[in-house]
Amino acid sequence: MKAIAVLLKPRLLSSVNSLRPEYNKNKWVSIIVFLTIGLLFWSGTFIICYRVLLYFQSVQDFGDILAMKLLSMVVMIFFALLIFSNIINCLSHLYLSQDLYLVHAQPVTAKDIFFSRWLLSTVDSSWMVILFSLPIFLSYGIIYKAGIFFYLIVLLATIFLSLIASILSSIVVLLGATILPAGRIRTALVILGVILLLILVLVLRLTRPEQLVNPDSFASAVLYLNSMQTLNSPLLPTTWIVDALKAALNSQFSNAFFNIALSGSCTFMFIFFADAIAGATYFRGFSQAQTTPQRLFAPLRYKGISWETLLNFLSREARAFAIKEIRTFFRDSTQWPQLFLMGALIAIYLYNYSVLPLDKSPVKTFYVQNLFSFLNMGLAAFVLSAITARFVFPSVSMEGASFWIVQAAPVSLKTFLWIKFFLYYIPLIIMAEALIVISNLLLQVSTFMMVLSIITIFCLVPPIVAMGVGLGAVYPNFKSENPAQAVTSFGGLLFMMLCFALIAVVIILEAGPVYYVFMAGIRHQSLSASQIIWLILSFSLALFLCIFAVIYPMRCGEKSLGIK
Amino acid sequence: MIELLDLTKKYGPTLAVNKLSLHVAAGEIYGFIGPNGAGKTTTIRMMGGILAPTSGKIIIGGLDMAKNPVDAKKMIGFVPDRPFLYEKLTGMEFLRFTADLYDVNPLSFPLKAEQLLRQFALWDWADEIIEAYSHGMKQRLIIAAALMHEPRILIIDEPMVGLDPSAVRMVKDIFRQLAARQTTVFISTHTLSIAEDLCDRIGLIHKGMLLAQGDVSELQHIAKLGEAKLEEVFLTLIKEDTFL
Repeated sequence: MKAIAVLLKPRLLSSVNSLRPEYNKNKWVSIIVFLTIGLLFWSGTFIICYRVLLYFQSVQDFGDILAMKLLSMVVMIFFALLIFSNIINCLSHLYLSQDLYLVHAQPVTAKDIFFSRWLLSTVDSSWMVILFSLPIFLSYGIIYKAGIFFYLIVLLATIFLSLIASILSSIVVLLGATILPAGRIRTALVILGVILLLILVLVLRLTRPEQLVNPDSFASAVLYLNSMQTLNSPLLPTTWIVDALKAALNSQFSNAFFNIALSGSCTFMFIFFADAIAGATYFRGFSQAQTTPQRLFAPLRYKGISWETLLNFLSREARAFAIKEIRTFFRDSTQWPQLFLMGALIAIYLYNYSVLPLDKSPVKTFYVQNLFSFLNMGLAAFVLSAITARFVFPSVSMEGASFWIVQAAPVSLKTFLWIKFFLYYIPLIIMAEALIVISNLLLQVSTFMMVLSIITIFCLVPPIVAMGVGLGAVYPNFKSENPAQAVTSFGGLLFMMLCFALIAVVIILEAGPVYYVFMAGIRHQSLSASQIIWLILSFSLALFLCIFAVIYPMRCGEKSLGIK
Repeated sequence: MIELLDLTKKYGPTLAVNKLSLHVAAGEIYGFIGPNGAGKTTTIRMMGGILAPTSGKIIIGGLDMAKNPVDAKKMIGFVPDRPFLYEKLTGMEFLRFTADLYDVNPLSFPLKAEQLLRQFALWDWADEIIEAYSHGMKQRLIIAAALMHEPRILIIDEPMVGLDPSAVRMVKDIFRQLAARQTTVFISTHTLSIAEDLCDRIGLIHKGMLLAQGDVSELQHIAKLGEAKLEEVFLTLIKEDTFL
């Protein structure tokens, strides 16, 4: 135990030291920003859950069934999330972390290393799930007027749920690493996990939950509800957890104790198994993980035409950077699941428009279609911002420790940043315009709205990409092993907020004039002089903002990188 | 070929390099030695255009690095102290990337790349991703890439780290050949035997300032040590803080 505590110390001390003001002047600002945003999400989760449960209570006969079904679904989803994030974290902590060479060189047993790493992985994987499960359980407690006993059971249930998920994941990883090198397992599991997630999302989406709001299909909704059975085998730990929570809500003390005790004993049993398995396999798996990295796909040996020739129109250094960027991007297996996910989200986004029951709306269809089209501009821009945050914002940070090559190269930082800009701008403008045109075609909007949407997106893509590149250069993290880390940084958050602000301002500036143009079209009238002036001013201001948001962040990025 | 004029670099309150002035002629191999934290890497990074000086000038082949960084960098082959590269590129792809950046003639590239990769014993690994290379192989690849555009100045921080004895011999021979062709070689190193063996002149930096410079016999004279080894000279000068 002492060795485990010692092995945990570096992480603990590093976390404490990182809070010291002399090491990071802006740390407290970012902590306060993150806390505020976290609190907003937490409160939002609580309010939504509370309102939903309140609504369920008002449904006669069905209320309790719905609430309990929701509870078991929430526990199942949390468990699945915990399993997935624990597997990924366990792999990194146990086999792929950079400090493992140092740790394995210390006079400690492989079991000690395993348990110290497992604890870190459990904390890293579980804290957010636990934090955001609390408002849900709190709303259950308030709605069902539960006493302190319920909250005690909630505490034990979340701890046991997290521990069972993490110890099971670690056993899977330990056994997996004896068969395959750890790096390969991570790639395989990440891809598998994303595919499973996509299937889940697609299945849920294809069940068309929007039909639930249609009173005509209420009878089928009841059937729908009944068909959505969660796994409730008495042999599953999630069943014990759900049963313990249900019993605690209804003040059935002995039943709650029995189920929570079952969960606890199961946890300790798995820890005992993990101890034995770790002793037998951990070091072997770690040794096996230290293999030479190999490409998953063999290089194309064909010497004739290659995709690189498509970039021949670029200047030489731009082409060199473009080829480097494309190669490193697609050879990085951590990017692949993100691409799958992006593709699926776009597919679902467009599918949603194809199934919108516009004809059942009480408002005139023509009006609704064009209103949706207008809102769709904002929504598409938000989707674009999220994609930019994931792929463009970390692009400067992705240079990593190799950034010296850019600095030492006979290419100015300005050129370097503009090359990055165009590399991402071209695919993103194609994607954004395709998104807006297809969704507008599905909505069957007027020609005016189609043209307006195309122009608006055409003007919004450059500033969003420029802010991604520019702010990514102002807040680079060259030590980041994973691009996702850069997105969740203070700079990433600032980028998202500025994007949302820009999109909102542009949409608001367009809303008034567009309404008048639209209504004038319906009434076959012409615009008044004041309306025309308003239109010109609003659109000019929006355009000016977009141009400013292209130039200024790029300059800031260039200046900031120059100083670094 | 290289001229540093009152070069100063401050990291907040820490003075890393303090009014450093030196001149290195064409075809000269200049060794830059000093204890840990003396300011060697900071100086080299400023010379490579990676760091901006707080004050002072860096003149590379007659061009001011601050005013004309792109053209100045075209004259330099730069090798940092740690071999960080684009791990997902192959060795050959990295060389092509470098060749494109430094505007190497595309027609002569394949031959030049093969020659360099063979010279640095990397030809068999040319199509493997850099992630799979050992530390020494990465170091050799960086040096090969730095030589790709036939630079007039080679700036190298700790060139021999991670290299095996045969590679060390090979690199030393290459440096001598380059110097014979009027290429200026600026080396920062802790390996005093290499500095002693290879360099025409040696500069000793301590606490950001140039303590002494000259060939080995001049340094021995400054340290008043007769025929002593460079190691002895180094320790004496550092101990006495003898300024130039």
